[in-house]
Amino acid sequence: MSLLTEAQTKTTAIIIVSVVIIAIIAGVAVYYASQKPAQTVTVTQTQTVTKTASPTTTTTSPTKTVTPPKIKEIKIGLIEPLTGAHAVFGQEAKEAAELIINVINNELGGIKNLGGAKLKLVVADAGETPEQAKLAAEKLVAQEHPPIIIGAYISRMTAAVAEVTEREKIILVMDGLVDSLTEQGWKYVFRVAPKASAHGKSAVDFVLDMAKKKNLTIKKAAVIHEDSIFGTYVAQGAEKELAKYGIDYIVEAYPYDISDVTPIVSKLMDYNPDIVISVPYFHDAVLLAKTIKEMGFHPMFIAGAGGCGYTDPDSIKAAGEAVEWYTNTYSYNPARPTEWNKKIVKMFEDKYGKLPTEAAGIIFYSLMTVKEALEKAAVLHPEDPLNPDNLRDAFLSLDLTDNNSIAAQLYPTGHIKFAPNGDNIYAGTAVIQVINGKPHVVWPDPEPGIQPVFPRPDWPGAKG
Amino acid sequence: MPGTLSKKLALTKERLYSLVGLAIILALVPVFLGFNFYYVLLAADVMLAASLVAAWNIIGGYAGQLDLAASAYMALGAVVTGHLLANFGLTPWIGMFIGAGSAVAVAALVGYPTFRFGIKEVWYALLTSALVVIMMRIYYLIYGSFETYIPHMEPEWLYLTFRRYEVYYYMLAAMLVIIIWVNLKIKDSKLGYYLAAIREDELAAEALGIDVRRYKLYALMIYALLAGLVGGIYITLTGILSFRLFDPWLGIVVAVMGIVGGLGSISGAVLSAVILRSIEEYLRGTIGATYPGSHLLVYGLIIILVGVLKPEGLASFIDYFKKKITRRGEEVG
Amino acid sequence: MQVISVDPSLLVQNLVNGVFTGLLYSLVALGLALIFGVMDIINFAHGDFVMVGAYLTYVIATTFMIEPSLTAFITMPIFFLLGIVIYKLIIEEVLGAEPLIQIAVTVGLLMVLRNLALMIFHAEPRGVPFTIFTQPIVIGPITIASSRLAAGIVSLVALWLIHVLLTKTKWGIAVRATADDREVAELMGINVKRVYAVTFGLGTALTALAAALIMTFSRADPYLGLLYGLLSWVIVAMGGLGGVIGVLFSGLIIGVIEALGITFVGAGARELFIYLTFFFVLWFRPRGLFGRR
Repeated sequence: MSLLTEAQTKTTAIIIVSVVIIAIIAGVAVYYASQKPAQTVTVTQTQTVTKTASPTTTTTSPTKTVTPPKIKEIKIGLIEPLTGAHAVFGQEAKEAAELIINVINNELGGIKNLGGAKLKLVVADAGETPEQAKLAAEKLVAQEHPPIIIGAYISRMTAAVAEVTEREKIILVMDGLVDSLTEQGWKYVFRVAPKASAHGKSAVDFVLDMAKKKNLTIKKAAVIHEDSIFGTYVAQGAEKELAKYGIDYIVEAYPYDISDVTPIVSKLMDYNPDIVISVPYFHDAVLLAKTIKEMGFHPMFIAGAGGCGYTDPDSIKAAGEAVEWYTNTYSYNPARPTEWNKKIVKMFEDKYGKLPTEAAGIIFYSLMTVKEALEKAAVLHPEDPLNPDNLRDAFLSLDLTDNNSIAAQLYPTGHIKFAPNGDNIYAGTAVIQVINGKPHVVWPDPEPGIQPVFPRPDWPGAKG
Repeated sequence: MPGTLSKKLALTKERLYSLVGLAIILALVPVFLGFNFYYVLLAADVMLAASLVAAWNIIGGYAGQLDLAASAYMALGAVVTGHLLANFGLTPWIGMFIGAGSAVAVAALVGYPTFRFGIKEVWYALLTSALVVIMMRIYYLIYGSFETYIPHMEPEWLYLTFRRYEVYYYMLAAMLVIIIWVNLKIKDSKLGYYLAAIREDELAAEALGIDVRRYKLYALMIYALLAGLVGGIYITLTGILSFRLFDPWLGIVVAVMGIVGGLGSISGAVLSAVILRSIEEYLRGTIGATYPGSHLLVYGLIIILVGVLKPEGLASFIDYFKKKITRRGEEVG
Repeated sequence: MQVISVDPSLLVQNLVNGVFTGLLYSLVALGLALIFGVMDIINFAHGDFVMVGAYLTYVIATTFMIEPSLTAFITMPIFFLLGIVIYKLIIEEVLGAEPLIQIAVTVGLLMVLRNLALMIFHAEPRGVPFTIFTQPIVIGPITIASSRLAAGIVSLVALWLIHVLLTKTKWGIAVRATADDREVAELMGINVKRVYAVTFGLGTALTALAAALIMTFSRADPYLGLLYGLLSWVIVAMGGLGGVIGVLFSGLIIGVIEALGITFVGAGARELFIYLTFFFVLWFRPRGLFGRR
């Protein structure tokens, strides 16, 4: 019996293994067989997207079309985390994108240089993980094949999307801020928004600038940051800047979902720095502000860096008085006194009943930059404006300022020009401070009638 | 006894045919999906879940240990393979086995004292869940929160950096078939009988002279090996290395899928992974975008319903259909 | 990264912080210890009850402008009833089932609770912007946040009350009899089903108290359950079924280890220390530090 079963298992083994081999071989064969047809599929999809005037799409004609194709509609992909832990950002980004697309199509008459072609927003949910983001990108590409995609806020999800867009030669305008995203040698990526380390640098520059104005000297600083990749890059930007000015500092990292920060605040109090540069997420921002207040820690100044946390309307609601005088660096300046910025902010408030935060702001100017690039592509390459290389060329040749574009009017520095790696050369952030329970832009150009509060009035040295 | 012998032969033959059938069906899936990238990637994702659950079945289903560390072994296999590829250019064909080997080493290192000290039931579950967190934090201490992206390398076959997903799908599908085969092998072997005895009553098994600790450890190590291999393939698919790969939640989800499938039933485990993962993705695409979290809410309700109403899991349905089919066969014969 | 040389006053300060955090952890774990000890139910959704409690505190405190810690008087009865409802609907069905099934069902419950919170409140953290605890209490070189002090004291009182309830009252004796041997208790005329329902309700109500205390200094978010779920189990495992005392000391140990981890290494290593401790306790004292049946 045992002999037979052994023989039996042996044959089983042989057959199973061969099945696996067959499966693999089948896969390989199918893979190679599918390579060519799959490519034509994508070609037809691009064609359907561009909606050529002739109803029969001639996919394989190698001759260059002399007459420019008439484009009625251009799809713009948006991949954002609409579900899961990061849904806050994604949902707001989607709202902002819908608003801007509406403005472009109805108020600005579409892409003028392309005969008033309309933009159509196609949205996919990036979920919570890189795989989900990748799935979303594949789905969007397969179903819609937009020539330009915007996404995906969270860096590792943006990286997953970029892998797909690079392969498909689709322009990806990133709203993920982590530095390394533009250091991968990717060809079709652009980022209008200021990268993470620029946020950290801005926070330090702001504090030093204010201290200089008020004749205060800063000798010791503490950098505390949540330990995600974003927080770490922001903190590194701050550390570099502190080191440049010869200021001593300590660094403390913590996971953003920490249950209690009392030990960290105690550590800060023990070190007793003049200023604290804090890079929070939302959860820990509430906890930190409340704990710092309750522990009676009174440094000269506490400056936030990295966009989210202290100055968001939700954080102010959740932390109350505790976040008074906190600042934060912002990739967007909702108070920038340019014509279009005022207009868009007003429209956003009217439509959604809240002030746009950073997630919306980045979309505002990124989408407007996309519009400018499309206009430019139509001028530079009228024969095929939606070709990825032509689009890339158009992006790189942009030089947007307040005078010549809406996009720059929405941007904190008012100047957008891309470096070859896709980053904006003139990237910069605004600084927002909570004054009397309301967020106000205080730096570099303060809102009318608003003065930054510096140093903190509860700092013992402030009285003298 | 010739009767039982022929029955046994028939049974294995039946299994064999179903396995061959499964392999053929799996091989044809991308064809039916029209090589659409999205669906193939989704299918690969389903294969990943199914492979992990099938691997989990060895420790959870056969040995009856509530292991929640599937993601720890998978992630370890993934990061070892991934870093060997990204930092040293070592082909994943070798790296994958080194990764799986390290997963086995960790399993042995943790499993030996754990079984030696008689940790079981809920305590074992908690210990394994904590293991995921510990490994995550160790990885964090080494690499911080920085992400490593595996670049595209040529030749693709050597470095497994394809720009299409069919290959990953086939590798995971082949992995699934191999894992199912390992499951069946174990079930029929001495190890399988011992594990069944341990699962039924550990004390009685010990009284019968079975070296309970040793066989539990074997089951754990085989499971870690398979999960590590799956991780090695997985990382070539996503190409992003980060401490978040060590996801305690994934470990729990794998176990839950295995439980919903019906303990010790390999077909139930695979079926439950395929169904639950597809439902989750479908719901996410439909209602998840409008109401954040609603898809997982429905998913949770399904799990509660299965747990409360059909604690035997999907396996009981499979048995039901099997009986029906065999009965019909008898009638015909 | 620069390493701070640890100053003794900071060490003492953080030990004190750890003690207060630990007391709160004990309170969070107490409900779980009660439920597991009496009913043998493996509840993986415990942390998410804390999360739901935090949201309830937020809603009540901000709508009626009540001091968050005082909302416990309202949220605890609600949670008691909620606990009984959940017991009747779900838990009763899996009483005595395989541990695996209990885990699956409570994981399902956890998913429902967590995503319900996400659907209603979205992912932004919610906090109560006012509280009476705003001033620190300074004793020599030690600064104690008054909310942590209050949370610690309330936790201690709650632990003591539960201890008295279990050891000195008739109901407590019935509970302990049921925990020891269900069948014998039934023969003695104890209504086991009712004891179970009330225990589950009480265990759930305790999470509402903990949540109210947490909300005086922290925030509610859908993923709060992740923080307290596994942690509570670690405390229960370490405390064994040594009753309230076991839970109290395990909570304190975890709180102090956490504070020391943050002081000497950094907050990123906090979980590492907690769970490594857990590993070694399970390995070398499998019956918990304070005895287990």
